[in-house]
Amino acid sequence: MNIISGIDITASALNAQKTRLDIVAQNIANAQTTRGPNGLPYQRKTVTFETELIRHEAGSTSTSSGRALQSVRIGMIKDDKAKGERVYDPQHPDAAVDGYVEMPNVNMAYEMVDLMTASRAYEANLSVVKNARQMALKALEIGK
Amino acid sequence: MLAPPLLNRTTMIDPVFQSDNYLLARKLLDASVVRQEAIASNIANADTPGYRRLDVAPDFAAQLRTRLEAGKLAESTSLKPTVVEDLSARSVRPDGNSVEMETELLAMNRNGVEYDFLVEVVSRNIKQMKMAISGRAS
Repeated sequence: MNIISGIDITASALNAQKTRLDIVAQNIANAQTTRGPNGLPYQRKTVTFETELIRHEAGSTSTSSGRALQSVRIGMIKDDKAKGERVYDPQHPDAAVDGYVEMPNVNMAYEMVDLMTASRAYEANLSVVKNARQMALKALEIGK
Repeated sequence: MLAPPLLNRTTMIDPVFQSDNYLLARKLLDASVVRQEAIASNIANADTPGYRRLDVAPDFAAQLRTRLEAGKLAESTSLKPTVVEDLSARSVRPDGNSVEMETELLAMNRNGVEYDFLVEVVSRNIKQMKMAISGRAS
């Protein structure tokens, strides 16, 4: 039993959203990277979320007979396989013989939208923590 | 000296701690905490594909009402709020997730106020008892 109810679920969500923000940062940072360790242009990473049933402390919580609560975790981080834009720039060190350079498939608009969604989701989860904390403090005041 | 068994103990403070108001507030407080957990789970999974929103089982309130009307609130220790999938929530998103962030945040705020109110009810009951014992207002 937790004094602050639901805190482990919210913590998992904060973690997941932060990982998503990290990935967005990585994508934006590598928006111009034309050569990675494998010699190919950088490929944009995407994250997937999945639910995870939280462990039951045998019969102690009031939810023991109902549905289990679900926390969230990062399922996988995958490469976006789409082809990047090809730009004609014969001066570029990574240009092919025909003068075209293959750029990373990072799209700034996608990344910015993802960034905002992730940070809003993070804020929403923070407000859950605030609320739960307030409730716990109130409970401590019973009888005072 | 050993304490007498709980069942045989008919103390003076029973009228306060066995009153419907007090017992009801306690039960609803339990439900409030469980609801908070369900909402935390919903907001945490707002971006998880296929997640269905959870809520306190609607039959908890119904059962509580029946027991209250039958005057059997004191015996309903087994009545516990449970978390179930909210079947009334529809998904309007392509990923099959039925969480709406606005609804959840409003529900959370409402639940918080409700919780504060119930804490106050329980607290007042205890304060009343203290006042009766000590004869002083605080």
